[in-house]
Amino acid sequence: MVRLLVEPFESPFMARALVEALLLGVVGAVVSVFVVLRRLAFVSDALTHTVFPGVVIGYLVAETDGIVWGALAFAVLSAVLLTLLAVNARVTEDATLAILLTGFFAVGVILVSRRSSYTADLTAFLFGRILTVDRQQIILTAVIGAVVLLTLALLGKELVLRAFDPDGAAARGYRVLALDLALNLVVALVVVASVRAVGTVLVIALLVVPGAAARLLSDRLAVIVVLAAAIGALGGWLGLAASYEASVNHGLRLASGATVVLALVALYAVAAAVGAVRSSGRLAFASGGLSSERAP
Amino acid sequence: MDESERTALRFEHASLAYGRARVVEEVDGVVRAGESVALIGPNGSGKSTLLKAVLGLVAVVGGRIEVLGRVPARARRDVAYVPQADTLDAEFPVTAGQVVLMGRYREIGWIRRPGAGDRRIAAAALDAVGLADRAGERFGTLSGGQRQRVLLARAIAQQPRLLLLDEPFNGVDAVSQEALLSALASLGAAGAAVVISTHDLALAHLACDEVCLLNRHQVAFGPTAATLTPELLRAAYGGQALVTDGVVVAH
Repeated sequence: MVRLLVEPFESPFMARALVEALLLGVVGAVVSVFVVLRRLAFVSDALTHTVFPGVVIGYLVAETDGIVWGALAFAVLSAVLLTLLAVNARVTEDATLAILLTGFFAVGVILVSRRSSYTADLTAFLFGRILTVDRQQIILTAVIGAVVLLTLALLGKELVLRAFDPDGAAARGYRVLALDLALNLVVALVVVASVRAVGTVLVIALLVVPGAAARLLSDRLAVIVVLAAAIGALGGWLGLAASYEASVNHGLRLASGATVVLALVALYAVAAAVGAVRSSGRLAFASGGLSSERAP
Repeated sequence: MDESERTALRFEHASLAYGRARVVEEVDGVVRAGESVALIGPNGSGKSTLLKAVLGLVAVVGGRIEVLGRVPARARRDVAYVPQADTLDAEFPVTAGQVVLMGRYREIGWIRRPGAGDRRIAAAALDAVGLADRAGERFGTLSGGQRQRVLLARAIAQQPRLLLLDEPFNGVDAVSQEALLSALASLGAAGAAVVISTHDLALAHLACDEVCLLNRHQVAFGPTAATLTPELLRAAYGGQALVTDGVVVAH
């Protein structure tokens, strides 16, 4: 077991991949708690796709170094657009989101398809290349992650109030639109940080699965955040270890980014099973408790 | 206290609109500190809109609304709003105690966490609605009436001078109703003005000094007994009001 979980990371490129996966796993997981509370999974999915043309444009302008800046520009643009859209949606919001998502995505595909290395580029942008992340990329992820976590720490109680009771927040004079923009920007930043490593498509797993899984395990917000972070990190670790083991020792090539996603989904399944057992246990306790008087 | 201090809420020919559509017209009346007013009218009569206008969330397009001597948006710090409990997500992972503490967030301010003083105020507020022993339970696991009491406790924790409640008695059991009424009475005794939108005329009789009858425009505004007459209720409800055994029932 130790061999499976530790040995793969003795090589420097795997160690770097692990650090990147842990960073993204933890940061994405904390954000995912808010995504789940606000039911923003689809909005986040839209964000991952609207950032895509930015990735392509950044790459066309300045090769790999341009990716982050292109992604960042489109992330900010998308966050603003999606926030405003949620307020003045004339068409039902999810139809508008789908139109936006697919429109931006198509622009990205058209731009990238003009290059001769079309297929390889597209694969890298969509699914990332976590095994080739370098030191600089890790530092960037850490910086963006710190900004994201700091923002959530500073605005946490207001964001929770807004998620729970938007009318109540507005009644107290909070600008709900500004809080929504802040959260959308935070989600967009996670997408930017993840682009090189897991790509624009797979990042949605980091932004949804840990929070959703942790929610199944606890009713306490503080506990949910910690559990989500643990699940996010564990998913990254297990996924990388599994893809290494399969590729190196069993001749079975597993794309590492996608394997991380599958590890997260597997952890979600475990959480769902544990959650189901817990709530059925609670039901049994509650029905047993009804017959006897409650202690004062 | 001079007259302006005593006036919690003043409507002067107030008309309200969402965008270009006028929703409520010609509301005229005064609510003084310590007084309670019931907003009564059929669905779609503009009760919620009027509450939102007092919070500064709906535009006043004609006349004036003055809240604690200020324009509505500037008075929010001293105004508490109690939403209908069943409009909130029952699955949300938050305890009753945490919900009450939310009433302190504006006073706590950005970035900072609730301190011991805030926790004391929140605990006292939860006690005032008779739910001190439920602080640790998840909000969504409480009954509808208990959730409504938690939301009133949140408003109390805010220490408001004006309290606005949106249909607080809908689907509330007798115990919770009693607890809500007694908490509202002590708020009134402490000098807070209370505005309650409700369908329940019997409760309006019980809980409110004055009544504002509303149906897109103001039908009447005055002392409860003098205002809840069959004639005026028929005017507000368009002939749908029924009077049985001396109790007025409206649809």
